Amino acid sequence: MQSLRDLQRSFCAATLFGDPVALASLGIVGGRLDPKARIAVYRNNVLGNYRKAMAATYPVVQRLVGASFFAAAVDYFVRGYPSKRGDINRYGGEFALFLVSYRPARELVYLPDVARLEWAIDQAAIAADAPPFDLEALAAVPPSRQAALRFSLHPSLRIVSSPHPVFRIWRANQVDQCGEDRVDLGEGGDTLLVSRGNAGVSIERISAGERAFLAALADNATLAEAAGRAQEVEALFDLAATLRRHVAGQTIVAFRAP
Amino acid sequence: MPDSPLPVVAGIGLRAAHMAQVRAEHPPTGWLEVHSENFFVDGGPALAALDDIRRHYAVSLHGVGLSLGSADPLDKAHLGNLRGLIDRIEPSAVSEHLCWSHVDGRHLNDLLPLPFTEEALTLLCERIDAVQNALGRTIMVENISSYLRFSCDAMAEWEFVAALTQHAGCKLLFDVNNVYVNAVNHRFDPRRYLAAISGDSIGEIHLAGFDSSAGCLIDTHGTRVAPAVWDLYRESIERFGPKPTLIEWDTDIPALEVLLDEAAKAQRMLEACHAVAA
Repeated sequence: MQSLRDLQRSFCAATLFGDPVALASLGIVGGRLDPKARIAVYRNNVLGNYRKAMAATYPVVQRLVGASFFAAAVDYFVRGYPSKRGDINRYGGEFALFLVSYRPARELVYLPDVARLEWAIDQAAIAADAPPFDLEALAAVPPSRQAALRFSLHPSLRIVSSPHPVFRIWRANQVDQCGEDRVDLGEGGDTLLVSRGNAGVSIERISAGERAFLAALADNATLAEAAGRAQEVEALFDLAATLRRHVAGQTIVAFRAP
Repeated sequence: MPDSPLPVVAGIGLRAAHMAQVRAEHPPTGWLEVHSENFFVDGGPALAALDDIRRHYAVSLHGVGLSLGSADPLDKAHLGNLRGLIDRIEPSAVSEHLCWSHVDGRHLNDLLPLPFTEEALTLLCERIDAVQNALGRTIMVENISSYLRFSCDAMAEWEFVAALTQHAGCKLLFDVNNVYVNAVNHRFDPRRYLAAISGDSIGEIHLAGFDSSAGCLIDTHGTRVAPAVWDLYRESIERFGPKPTLIEWDTDIPALEVLLDEAAKAQRMLEACHAVAA
């Protein structure tokens, strides 16, 4: 008699990959429906669960390609990128990577970056909370010591860069359609900051300098070092205004003195 | 109140679609059940909403992904997440399913059927024991719907479930709809199932709707409870005594009022049963 492990392996192979040898080895019994039809019920349930979960995470990708194209892509993705968790909500982080080499979608060159943006939005929504910034403590730091401070970013923060206008594409494909109808793919790329505040997850465009600044802070650089890296890519980088905006917007949530 | 048991009344499964309305209106329902995995997150609005719900209702955490019946080792990270959520929410009950869902590290994220063998029974007893030790509490395990049987089965489903509740030290979450679905799909008399189960082992009852497709009943949780399932429910509580009872609805989720209406129906049956017992 086959072991429980062998039975579960065969079940997986028959359900996900349609393996006829595995199906036969399962010893499925029952009248009316044959074993193939019975395992098909599970295939439909399993793939249906993934399609639903992925559509919840990637609604704009689904809108861009249509429901049946999306379902076929998810079915293919599931076979090559096994789910590693018992929590289906967290599945699908490699979808952008998959789409890069998914031949049926290769003409939609912006699609992987739209997926990257949607994954960042999804992750931002469930990231850890952070207490509000202690402005009084910051005000008490003497100006001469400010340059050596290090800052922490909100755990929800994600930066998504693309050579394509993914922000416009994303906005034009919202259900409540808050953007323009037509997007000129030649109009240039976006660097986007995704973060979660009191009003939920928001997306904003940031400059190259701002991106370098936030990446440096995330990398544990001091304020002076981060400002330096921002100025390397953006000569007119406004440190004071940028810092003020991110502290007020709760994307920068804490600081540490040396 | 970490160990206060579920009240012996009807409750509803709370899904994201109804979260805002339930928080705003606090509808009169005995208790609420949520899927544990939906709150395996580090922070954010969903977890904050559950914290708020917990301040107003008894909550049951119902898991769908621990995979008690996998030949793979127990997923320690998953168990750790569950432990963290239990510590935070202090639920009245914690439950899982009599199924498996991962093999060789690949999760299929579905409630898959076990063969009713001694090997599966032994494995489940060990796993449930390990989980109960790790969580420091008794859990309930739910009988699932299934669409096939294996030729290696050494016993009937009800014998397997009865043996498990005797030996594993857990409670049974008795899903009446799943018994009915399996009775139709596998052609047995559901009363034989009821006759095999001890009322003392049951900690909670689930009710939900099914759909019919391709020659078998599918446990979709997408409709009202079927009349035949209500009949089986009435028989169950007459036999087992009144139990905390939940209305589950997971696909094509209707207005909250529809769920509350179904729960009110279960509540009337529970009260009739209480009255007879008194």
